[in-house]
Amino acid sequence: MPSDALILGFDTSAAHCAAALLSGDRVIAARQEDMGKGQAERLMPLVQEVLAEADVALPDLSAIGVGIGPGNFTGIRISVAAARGLALSLGIPAIGVSLLDCLAFGADAPVLACLDARRDHLYLQRFAEGAGKGPALVPFDAVSEWALPGLTCVGQRAEEVAERIGATHAPAAFAPACAIARIAATRWQTPQPRPAPLYIRTPDAAPARDTGPVMLP
Amino acid sequence: MTDRLTILGIESSCDDTAAAVLRVEDGAELMSSVVSGQTDLHEAYGGVVPEIAARAHAERLDLMVEQAVQQAGVSLNDIDVIAVTAGPGLIGGVLSGVMCAKGLAMGLGVPLVGVNHLAGHALTPRLTDGVSFPYLMLLVSGGHCQFLRVDGPDDFTRLGGTIDDAPGEAFDKVAKLLGLPQPGGPVVEQAAKQGDPKRFPLPRPLLDRDGCDMSFSGLKTAVLRTRDGLVADQGGLHEQDRADLCASFQAAVRDVLAEKSRRALAGQSDLTCFAVAGGVAANQTLRAALEDVARAHGVPFLAPPLTLCTDNAAMIAWAGWEAYRDGQRDGMDLSARPRWPLDRTSPALIGSGKKGAKA
Repeated sequence: MPSDALILGFDTSAAHCAAALLSGDRVIAARQEDMGKGQAERLMPLVQEVLAEADVALPDLSAIGVGIGPGNFTGIRISVAAARGLALSLGIPAIGVSLLDCLAFGADAPVLACLDARRDHLYLQRFAEGAGKGPALVPFDAVSEWALPGLTCVGQRAEEVAERIGATHAPAAFAPACAIARIAATRWQTPQPRPAPLYIRTPDAAPARDTGPVMLP
Repeated sequence: MTDRLTILGIESSCDDTAAAVLRVEDGAELMSSVVSGQTDLHEAYGGVVPEIAARAHAERLDLMVEQAVQQAGVSLNDIDVIAVTAGPGLIGGVLSGVMCAKGLAMGLGVPLVGVNHLAGHALTPRLTDGVSFPYLMLLVSGGHCQFLRVDGPDDFTRLGGTIDDAPGEAFDKVAKLLGLPQPGGPVVEQAAKQGDPKRFPLPRPLLDRDGCDMSFSGLKTAVLRTRDGLVADQGGLHEQDRADLCASFQAAVRDVLAEKSRRALAGQSDLTCFAVAGGVAANQTLRAALEDVARAHGVPFLAPPLTLCTDNAAMIAWAGWEAYRDGQRDGMDLSARPRWPLDRTSPALIGSGKKGAKA
């Protein structure tokens, strides 16, 4: 009988550095450290600590799951770039997992996954049979358009959103890195695209103003 | 006789995603060097947009690494050392490169070496021509422009540099304000071929001051004023006006670079050569003037091939090898640094305050 697949999940898409190791359906080691900056320096040592705690070596891994956001652009890239490099060197798949999927994972449908997008906006995704919606960047004032009977709001500002749209709210069933590893475990055996950041918000960039002079014949 | 080492270099500090494989045994053999540019992504914005650049790097780095390894005819398991640009540059791109390199180094179980992007440029003559120390380097690449005396792989003295824009930026901005496409270097040179370099008397900034510092921002503004004057007079520009402006601008840059190079060389002795790295070496007018200066000073002139002068990862692999040979090893906590001056003692030219010198 084959031994349980070992899946490493990690995430730096928000103000934390998180890693978890899944063996079969059990999380055998997990760490999450809250930090506003310094994830680029901390991520790999944290991963090494999680692996060491479970006495697992990198070549033992079957797959990597990585958080792709939405969230902090730089933070997302830190993890995605590391996961792609690590997966390439180990010859195993890296699976990109949305943090909105993580919030809905293990929750009772229908679920509205909420992440704070700052500037009074939210990243929302509704998970509901036949009534799925998003992911999208939504002004807080427009959340009422996301209401649905029996909806449970999960995630950042979930309580406020629930109050605004007359829904209930609940905590996420799993911490981010654990959810990422668990979701990756459901996907890694079928071919997946390489992890790519889920930014949703477009880059702030204005087209050039000076378009040059009128050219005369 | 050294042991055979295969080094993977990774570069992502501006708008090129690059990877290269270098093998060092008795000599150095560049086995592959691949670059993926982003000119098309930034075109509409009239300059490199850091967030757009960072987004592209994050999704291209591993692809370029695969391509470089494949073209080199080796496998990732043959890589002994990973060298990566750890700064200075646009932090989003540098960070993506550093993290991809960490993932690779950790997965392969090989050492990681963080390289200064400017050291990559400055050491390129050693990769291409086996130049010995000390030599004088005019590093004019992208946003950089400085004279460096290079005495060792980690021993740089900045003799002078731009206090504002680099010539590369000035060429880009001049192209933009004359309605020419980006990048500005080749198109301005092309237009200048049909132009009269003496028609518009443009300033030669800082020539009246001692030393090797330069300024190109005011020159760009002078081009803008001249353009606006012509537009006010005649309602637009004729093709000839544009060519003359390009030629006059290029002549001003030439005069400044040549005179400052003369001064830089005059203050040094024992130099093995005067090396020029960067897009400037691709400009025939500028290059000819710099060759004249070297000849007059009696030192060999050296300009590495353009593909190794513009941003590339071969130079990072080489600089990484020199650092590795001298004992440098970086940990998994290696930081990406937006600011990282090569010469840590000379006073800062650009960037000051509590964050310190930029480059």
